[in-house]
Formats: sequence, C-alpha cells, structure tokens
Amino acid sequence: MNRSPFYSLFAATALTALASASNVSAQAASSGAQEFDPRAFPGQVVEDVVVPVPSEVFSVLDKLGEPNWRQEIRTIDFQKTADRTKLSLMFGLVVAEGFVAVQAEDKEAVKDIGREVIDLATALGLIKSVRPHAQAILDAADKSDWSSIRREFDQTQKTVRDSMIQMKDNDLSQCVSMGGWLRGTASVTSVIAKSFSADRAELLNQPMLVEHFINSINKMSKDKKDHNNVADISKGLKTILAKMEGAVDGFTKDGVREIGKTCDSLLKDIQAAR
Amino acid sequence: MLFSPSRLFHRATALLTAAVLLASAPLSHATIDDAHSFAMEAAVPFVEQGFIVREDYWNGEVKSGQKLMVRHQMFKGNEYAFWLGCAQEEVTFELQVLDEKGNEIELDFKASGMFATVRVNPPKTGTYSVVFSLTSKKEKGLYWALAYGYR
Repeated sequence: MNRSPFYSLFAATALTALASASNVSAQAASSGAQEFDPRAFPGQVVEDVVVPVPSEVFSVLDKLGEPNWRQEIRTIDFQKTADRTKLSLMFGLVVAEGFVAVQAEDKEAVKDIGREVIDLATALGLIKSVRPHAQAILDAADKSDWSSIRREFDQTQKTVRDSMIQMKDNDLSQCVSMGGWLRGTASVTSVIAKSFSADRAELLNQPMLVEHFINSINKMSKDKKDHNNVADISKGLKTILAKMEGAVDGFTKDGVREIGKTCDSLLKDIQAAR
Repeated sequence: MLFSPSRLFHRATALLTAAVLLASAPLSHATIDDAHSFAMEAAVPFVEQGFIVREDYWNGEVKSGQKLMVRHQMFKGNEYAFWLGCAQEEVTFELQVLDEKGNEIELDFKASGMFATVRVNPPKTGTYSVVFSLTSKKEKGLYWALAYGYR
C-alpha cells in the first residue's frame, strides 16, 4: 500500500538475523509439514495488506464456468446520511458493485453506479479527487470499455483511501476496504452456491484478509470501533473466520451459504438508516 | 488490454524520460515515487500479455541487503506477476514467493537495471509470502516499491 513516510526504516532489530530467504525455505522444507512461520522471518515484515479487488476472484470464477453476472447485480439503496463511517463502508460496497456490473457488462448499471460514486464522494467531501475517475467511468461505459472501467474503479477506491489517509482518517480508509470486501465476497458466495464445486469454493480461503480486517477494527478509535455497523462487522468477520479456519478439508456448500448469509446481513445493515 | 498502443507508447516515452532524468540526477534526489515508476516500467511487457495492474502497492525505504516480506492473498486459477522497483542504480535484487510451508513457487525471476520481476501460478488459494531484498555497494538506504498484477 502506498504509505509514506516509510515503515520503520533501517529497523535495527532485523540486522540481527540476516539469513537469506533461501535459508528460510530450506528450514521450512526440512521441517516436513510444519507451516512457514512469518513471525520467525529473519527480516522486516511489511505490515500493510493489499486487499484484492473483487475482479481478481471474479476472473477465476469466469475461468471455471460462465456465471450469470447479471443475476448478481443488486440495487443499491442507501439512506442519505452524514455518518462518515457508514458512507465509507457504502463507498467500498458501491465500488465492488461496480466490479459486478463490469463483469455483467451492464452499461446502464455501471452508469448508475458511477453516479452513486459521485454522490458518495460528494457526501464524503472528496468529490474533487473522485470526479475525474467517475467521469472516466461514465465515458468508458458509453464505449463499453470494460477494462478501462475496471481500472477506474480500482483507482477510485485507491484515491478515496489515500485521501482519507492524508486527512488522518485511516479508520475510514479501512471501512472502504471492508465494505468492498464484504460486497465482493457476497457475490462470490452467491455464484459458488449456485454452481458448487470444490475448486470454486476454495476461493473463499481468505483467512489472512479476514484477520487483517478484524485487527484493523481492533486498532480503530473507540468511536469507530463502537459504531453499530463496525461492531456488527467485527462479530460477523469472526464468524466468517471460524468458517474459513474450520474448512480444513475444503468448504461445504452449506459453509459457503453461511459465509454469504453473514456478508448479506452486514451489507443490509450498512444500507439501513440506523 | 489495459492500455491502448498509443498510451503504451506515451507511457514508455515518459518512463524513458524519467529514467534518463533519474540517471543524470544526484542519487539523493531519488524518491519512492521513482521506485514505483520503475516497478510500473517492469509491468509494461506483462500488461501487453494481458495482466491487469493493481492500483495498490507496497513501498518504503530499506537498508541495503535487508530482507523484507509482504504477506499476500492469491487465488488459484489466476496468474500473478510481482514487479519490484528501486530508485537507485546498481542494485542487486532478490525476489521470491513462498507458499504456506515456505517453499518457493515463483517462475521466471528476472532482474534488469532498476527492477526485478517474477511470475506466480499459485497452486492453491491462500496466503503467500513475497520475500525480497535490494543490495547496493554504494547506497546504505534504498527506496523500493512492489506492485503486482494478475490475469
């Protein structure tokens, strides 16, 4: 993630252990089935996590079959609010919805979502930096230039998160990522549940991302952590993490549905007025 | 394709210009943004092969020779490419991708000038570790940026 100033530069502690990465591999290989322990890494671990965009998962689903993405598009219905936490979660949700609409190659849905992006950016006070991206999305939709739209949605999300970080709103930046991940995961579980296979279900093996979000919430300021939606998301993510960690022999169809149900419930709450 | 040929040409020209400027500028003027520019230069041939570049990336400053690790989610069925850029010259790169057991899984490591690249076909969906280092005989601190794309 683009963060500057840099992570603890010249970390002195890391100098005590300059074993090469190939030694790391060799140690792990020689220990049989033992998992590689990143905490024992003899160097500096970059703590920033890059959250995949929904289309990274969607592209695999496309390779494994031909999902009906139009069926996955959902009407966005969010109440007007000045609650920045809710708006940030909504922003992530809307951008993820944009990725679904691109997958469905639904020009009108993309345009509607482009307009939602403008409304939300305005409400968040970020319209100046977002407008060029939103306009590019609307223009590319006219040309059915799906790869450009995909890139613009990715850029839009990054622009908003970077702007929030510049304004010292790191917690809200995390909310954007969480809203997007929840919506993307809801779509993925829906597609998998409609045509279940072990290969498709394996895409839900994302415990690191869920742990990252749980840790992010734990580090939030009290007002954000106690926010109704964020508190509910924290609980929901713990449920999802337990499902992921319990799927040692792979995910069952019921397991996939339960993860989807949890995501759907949280998304519904984000869009609710409360 | 992510870029049109004309955009690619303009981008390549801009990157070439940036590279010339960087080469002629004092090293102390190198920035993290330069490192990202070189990572993006490394991405150009991959984009031509259909890779989609992610907007998010990692960056920072590191002591010459120090190992760094990034943990990253990858999905079986996608092919990934990682591009490591550095803002300084005459740097030796190491760049590996390890699975959950610490085994190397990367393909086609290449290092050239101010960047290094690897491709990855993840054997299963899950968390992988990207381990890398940059070593310079001249510079103590090095600016780096690590970007990725998928197809």
